[in-house]
Amino acid sequence: MREGVTTKRALCASCDIACSVVTEIKNGRVVRVRSSDNPIFRDHICMKGIVAPKGFANPNRILHPLKRVGERGSGKWEQVTWDEAMADIGSRLQAVVDRYGPEAWAVSTSQWNTSTDHGLGRRVMNHVGSPNWISGVALCAGNTAAVNRFTYGWFPFGDFNNTRCIVLMGHNPRRHSWTPIYNYIRSAQQRGAKLIVMDPRRSSSAERADIWLPLKVGSDTAMMFGWLKVIIDEGLYDKEFVAEWTVGFDELRQRVDEYPLERVAELTGCDPEMIASAARLYATHGPTIIPWTPITDMQRNSTSGIRLQSILRAICGYLDVPGGELLQGFNPDIINESEIEMHHVLPEAQKAKQLGSQDHPAFTYRGQSAFREPTRRVYGQEYANLVMGCHMATPSATFQAMAGEGPYPVKAFFFLGNNPLLSYANMPMILKGMMNQELIVAHEQFMTPSAQLADYVLPADSWLERPWLHDMFGWMSTVRFSEKSMDPPGDCRSTFQFWKLLAGALGQSDIVPWDTLEDFYDYRVARTGMSFADLVATTEVHFAKPEFRKYEKTGFATPSGKVELKSSVLEGLGFDPLPYFREDPPRDDAYPLMMFTGVREDGFFQTGHRHIPEMRARHPEPEIYLNEKTARTAGVRDGEWVAVENQLGRIKAKLAIRDAMPDDLVRVPHGWWKPEMPQGHGQLSGAHDYADSQLCRDDDDFLDREQGIPHIKGIPCRVVSLMSPSGDAEIVDASLLEPVE
Amino acid sequence: MSGNSRGFMQSEFMGKLMVAMAARSSRNRSLLDRLCRRALNRLTALPPEEDFMRDPLIDNDEGFDPEELDRYQRGE
Repeated sequence: MREGVTTKRALCASCDIACSVVTEIKNGRVVRVRSSDNPIFRDHICMKGIVAPKGFANPNRILHPLKRVGERGSGKWEQVTWDEAMADIGSRLQAVVDRYGPEAWAVSTSQWNTSTDHGLGRRVMNHVGSPNWISGVALCAGNTAAVNRFTYGWFPFGDFNNTRCIVLMGHNPRRHSWTPIYNYIRSAQQRGAKLIVMDPRRSSSAERADIWLPLKVGSDTAMMFGWLKVIIDEGLYDKEFVAEWTVGFDELRQRVDEYPLERVAELTGCDPEMIASAARLYATHGPTIIPWTPITDMQRNSTSGIRLQSILRAICGYLDVPGGELLQGFNPDIINESEIEMHHVLPEAQKAKQLGSQDHPAFTYRGQSAFREPTRRVYGQEYANLVMGCHMATPSATFQAMAGEGPYPVKAFFFLGNNPLLSYANMPMILKGMMNQELIVAHEQFMTPSAQLADYVLPADSWLERPWLHDMFGWMSTVRFSEKSMDPPGDCRSTFQFWKLLAGALGQSDIVPWDTLEDFYDYRVARTGMSFADLVATTEVHFAKPEFRKYEKTGFATPSGKVELKSSVLEGLGFDPLPYFREDPPRDDAYPLMMFTGVREDGFFQTGHRHIPEMRARHPEPEIYLNEKTARTAGVRDGEWVAVENQLGRIKAKLAIRDAMPDDLVRVPHGWWKPEMPQGHGQLSGAHDYADSQLCRDDDDFLDREQGIPHIKGIPCRVVSLMSPSGDAEIVDASLLEPVE
Repeated sequence: MSGNSRGFMQSEFMGKLMVAMAARSSRNRSLLDRLCRRALNRLTALPPEEDFMRDPLIDNDEGFDPEELDRYQRGE
């Protein structure tokens, strides 16, 4: 221990993984973040974690409440107190509710703060009467959780420690991105587990795989049909489990028969024998896991793709067995966030108004209502808002309503730890919606492009500056605790304080009755017989008692109590109850390439971290990747500035040649803006130049039917040079052989 | 996979044992807790040449000087 240094146990929230770390504190501030001393968390830290003390000390951090004094987006602010801000926000929000109805208030939150939001945002909204809560989890894990319920009523987590085979669908965990998952996968491989990777790119995971299926972008669903064709035709499934615990197998078989391997090979671009080999390995080398992947979350066939993952897990007998896919349920000792949210107080008539629920209901109240009784039967409560994704409004429908193009107006928009302009599809529509608001409130650490359009920007604390109780998003039954390491600077406050103050400003203080965050946590952990302070001091992880094959006692949390290969809930909502595959719409010759986006770079999480010098030094500019052949065809060269264009918009980026990319595919980086560039409407700190959300379409051909989430893994586009004819950059070979991330 | 086979029952037992050991290791207070932590340490540690988690950026990190952070925060 260095002189004058004290330590705290904390959970890093630099991304959404929540690694267990140790903070070192000197002179009242965190000076170092290192990995936990507990061997089960060894080395669970990445570059974003170690640089956090500097990131939060950035001189441009927002330290005091700011009130807009000029036109929206003019960049003119005055400093006010929290009391002044919340009093005005409360009265203006109430005016919107009185004039347009409570559904005219929408809230968007993101992982940085939703996991420390504790369900209080939904709790306040449910009491006010608004169902219109949206989040990036609509296309990243939250929607996966909701769609998994259609098949077996919960969202399983893979047992990496005991599995014998892992399937990565486009996902590429690395040392500095999804660090614990990377550790689990590499450890499993060292134990002898097999790795199957589906990815158009020769990713670093693909290079380590036993089988790499370089499929066409966006064809994951077709690939899984091919696997099922092999597994069913060759009788490789768990016949006992299928007979006893599933419904709809014969109908599934008929649907699968529509996908002979020759057709699947054509749809995916992969060799039929290789497809068959991967399917056999999956089915016969188990227990196998298909860990959650954001890739399947972001496609026009997302619902069918996630359903097929679920079906593979089920018919091969991998549900809730060691080494397989664990259905953990809630931790019975902790009051979970779904309980905190109090969804039962929101009237059914208001739930029915949730935006997007009529056309794309999968993760809305309407789509999930059939699980209320089964969830109570199996998990002891009606509402299970797994990964916060099971009772959401649809983002695109919400922005349309904000822009005056929905079934009713949305006129007040709050976002916490979230940068909506860059986080959802169709930035032009989001911008139009934001400019049409009567009240915008941001709770943020930095002046993001979205915050620049707010009426109020309220200063947010960081994970170093608050305690935290992390219930693993309701996904797993483990609960972890984080100590406050230092005081927040200036007037920065937590989401707990934000919601408590807002409830008070709306005259409903009793909604959030706890005085402090610690009091609230004491309430949540009371069933353990310990206080939060005792738990955080003595327990890094609070486990629920492990059990396997719990369904044998309770059945599954579906209407039938069985695994629904044919979904009664989807059928009841008017959708195809079996998975299916929608092919790409007809191509426009003007856009001969395909792009995908949503990719994290190691130094950044989503749209954040661009303000940290050490991280920007690693990624100074947004880069797109092409292989050399595609670049030559497009007439562009390594290192030059290019534009990526499609029917919706245009962004600028530097070109990096990567031979690990397949022909005609463009990798577009996610969430780019530059904090150093001019702020305000029309500028938005470079968002108009670089933000990939300008290319992400949300018209019908590019939306998943059941969920209404955008297809961002295979969008037609073109790449054109932005250099003058004399700007003759050379093609550099230095990184040609590197895998792509 | 037969849910009643001997191998399956063994894997369930081992799965539960691992969680129990992880819980003890996380508490790390009593003698048994510390023994569990030591056992997990031995089970999970790798020789440096095989340790895929080794990374110079992480391994060489010594954090920040508090005065340096103060100056940075003041924009100096």
